[in-house]
Amino acid sequence: MNVITCYKIVPDDQDIIVRDDRTLELGKAELEIGQYDLPAIEAGMQVVADAGGKVSALSVGPKLLENSKLKKAVLSRGPADLYLVVDDSLADADTHQTARTLAAAIQKIGNIDLVLCGEGSSDLYSQQVGAQLGELLGMANINAVSKITVEGDKLIVERTLEDEVEVLEVSLPAVISVTTDIVQPRIPSMKEVLSAGKKPVTQWSLADIGLADNPQTIETIDTLAPELAERKQIVIEGDSEDAVNELWENLRQELQ
Amino acid sequence: MSADKYEVIIIGGGPSGLAAAYKLAQAGVEVVLVERGDYCGSKNLSGGVFYTRVLDQLIPGFWEEAPVERYITNYVTTLMDKEDYFNLDYKGQALSKAPYNAFSVLRAKFDRWLAEKAEDAGVMLANGIKVEKVLKEGNKVTGIVAGDEEMLADVVIAADGINSFIAQEAGLRGPIKLEHLAVGAKALIELPRETIEERFRLTGNEGTAYAMLGEASHGVAGGAFLYTNLDSLSIGVVLRLDDLVKAGVKPAEVLDDLLEHPMVAPLVKDGKMVEYGAHLTAEGGLHMVPQQLVADGFIMVGDAAGFTINSGLVIRGMDLAVGSGIAAAEAIIEAKEKNDFSAASLNSYKRRLDESFVMKDLKTYAKAPIFMENDRLYKSYSKLANDIFGKVYNHDLTPKELLLKTALKALKENNLSIFDLARDGFKGVRAL
Ligand SMILES: Cc1cc2nc3c(=O)[nH]c(=O)nc-3n(C[C@H](O)[C@H](O)[C@H](O)COP(=O)(O)OP(=O)(O)OC[C@H]3O[C@@H](n4cnc5c(N)ncnc54)[C@H](O)[C@@H]3O)c2cc1C
Ligand SMILES: Cc1cc2nc3c(=O)[nH]c(=O)nc-3n(C[C@H](O)[C@H](O)[C@H](O)COP(=O)(O)OP(=O)(O)OC[C@H]3O[C@@H](n4cnc5c(N)ncnc54)[C@H](O)[C@@H]3O)c2cc1C
Repeated sequence: MNVITCYKIVPDDQDIIVRDDRTLELGKAELEIGQYDLPAIEAGMQVVADAGGKVSALSVGPKLLENSKLKKAVLSRGPADLYLVVDDSLADADTHQTARTLAAAIQKIGNIDLVLCGEGSSDLYSQQVGAQLGELLGMANINAVSKITVEGDKLIVERTLEDEVEVLEVSLPAVISVTTDIVQPRIPSMKEVLSAGKKPVTQWSLADIGLADNPQTIETIDTLAPELAERKQIVIEGDSEDAVNELWENLRQELQ
Repeated sequence: MSADKYEVIIIGGGPSGLAAAYKLAQAGVEVVLVERGDYCGSKNLSGGVFYTRVLDQLIPGFWEEAPVERYITNYVTTLMDKEDYFNLDYKGQALSKAPYNAFSVLRAKFDRWLAEKAEDAGVMLANGIKVEKVLKEGNKVTGIVAGDEEMLADVVIAADGINSFIAQEAGLRGPIKLEHLAVGAKALIELPRETIEERFRLTGNEGTAYAMLGEASHGVAGGAFLYTNLDSLSIGVVLRLDDLVKAGVKPAEVLDDLLEHPMVAPLVKDGKMVEYGAHLTAEGGLHMVPQQLVADGFIMVGDAAGFTINSGLVIRGMDLAVGSGIAAAEAIIEAKEKNDFSAASLNSYKRRLDESFVMKDLKTYAKAPIFMENDRLYKSYSKLANDIFGKVYNHDLTPKELLLKTALKALKENNLSIFDLARDGFKGVRAL
């Protein structure tokens, strides 16, 4: 089985500074693989561990993808090789541009049985790319998958709903977006880190995948952090009867 | 599980490990460097002043491309009392010319750059991996263990810093004695570039380094420092652990008080504290350097080997780290030609160190730690200097006395004798 796992490089959210006007300062943020994409990579590794085959990683985006540490980071998590589509016009790609670029790259790679995505990117979290990609590739397409079992030339997948688990049979090829609880991503070992540097990386431009014309269909006006909620900032210290009463009194007033 | 084998494995990606790795890779030696931080420098707090002449030997003209902050042209020594201070201010024009004497650096940027240089030269970097053990066959070190994986090498270099348990494991170093340990508390404070240049009277990329004694450390043995970066200040205190325990103060309190001191407060005013942290360090000096620096298949470099100098006026370690890394690499390159990685063969490392500035400077400053143990240095002299100058400049309508008389009086008030002063002065001149 030939598996592609898609991942996005995002700023580490712990380093993002929210300015007073709610705009975001990303300059100090380390870049990393999206947190929701790590389980997708690991899920791909499990699929080929069970059914045989090969996992390739795929990311599309601006030049920062070429960073050797980021390339090693994904390859140390198991994939046999890596495909990148690099163009600075993809820096603020909307979900459709991203999905189109991924689709064109996957078609160029060819002969793919399964494409895995995370449940959403950990920066913008549109949860759109997986679905659009499935549509563009004309493949079976399903999201929120929390378990994948290979059965012959089909997959049995589970989706955890509010009060039941949906079990579905999916024919291949398919595009599947997985939830974060599908599997715990690995921490790469020393040898995995060292071997990552030796794995093949194929890098394409938009022209290489026949997508010289890939316009943005959505205009981003602003990316703003949510308004901070006003807090009462009442701190009650101690565990005395009085302190408890004071806490209760405050809560009571709020609930009235 | 079969273990992979490489020619050299280096444990730790600080300046010592990276210098050795770079030099070895340049000579075509197959090197793996294992660093527990996600990237090199990520575990290294804020910054310091790097006496970089030795780096110019390793990477000629490094300042053209390295993320260094400011070349240090101004050195200020401060004798600090509770509210008063006495500054000795030196500015040397020669210090502002290439190849430059020293730069302020922020390690998170600098170490990372050096790691990229090493990687470009062919070093295989494994970040995010902590080495747990060395593998031994008898006395010979044969490799390392991380997680459940083993990796073999002809030579293992311990470059894992001051707490090097690798050196202890290899049996070359005992635990560090309490009186040789110190706690460092540091902060990084951001300020606009122009503000820094105005406040410190700097032109362009010139920089200032302060060494502060006396009340700067609450009279605890040790001292404080303040360095200018491009758009931030590194400020911190280094406090000897035994004295700190005796004094019963916390390093963070000492640093907080320093930030509010009348000399420091206007310099850091309106700055934004972006990093704050404390960690253990060693007073260093020759007496911390173990007898044996090599074993069969094993070499220690940098802080792991105890190569630091803390003379009160300067804290040095990065330059000695790079110097020892280069010497270790040269010794290994020579050992490889003979295909003999025994302790005897690797011991050309010791000779190279002896011939280089590393051992020469360590020997020169050998008396500094003992001199620095003198309590009067931290507890009395800053107050004395400030008392004398206070009396010289204070015209409170009482009749003035000549300087000598004023000084003698101040000595007496501080319970010091002229003999103490003479003796310490003499020792100080010899030790520093
Ligand atoms: C936190 C958050 C932020 C979001 N931000 C954005 C945003 O910025 N921009 C944006 O455009 N959208 C965003 N979305 C997604 C968007 O809200 C929904 O995806 C969109 O409203 C689709 O709704 P729906 O009613 O068609 O289907 P839903 O109610 O979302 O889905 C019903 C079910 O139908 C199935 N389904 C839906 N579409 C398909 C499909 N194409 N193929 C197969 N099965 C399908 C899925 O299994 C799904 O569980 C966000 C969602 C969340 C949770
Ligand atoms: C407060 C303070 C101020 C200082 N100021 C200055 C100054 O102004 N100028 C100066 O020249 N020097 C200064 N020094 C000293 C200087 O920091 C050190 O001498 C220098 O960093 C030594 O370099 P190194 O490569 O030997 O060790 P380090 O820089 O300590 O590097 C060791 C590396 O090994 C890694 N490591 C440790 N254990 C393991 C393991 N088991 N597995 C994998 N990796 C591991 C660590 O993460 C670290 O990156 C200062 C030190 C302190 C504490």
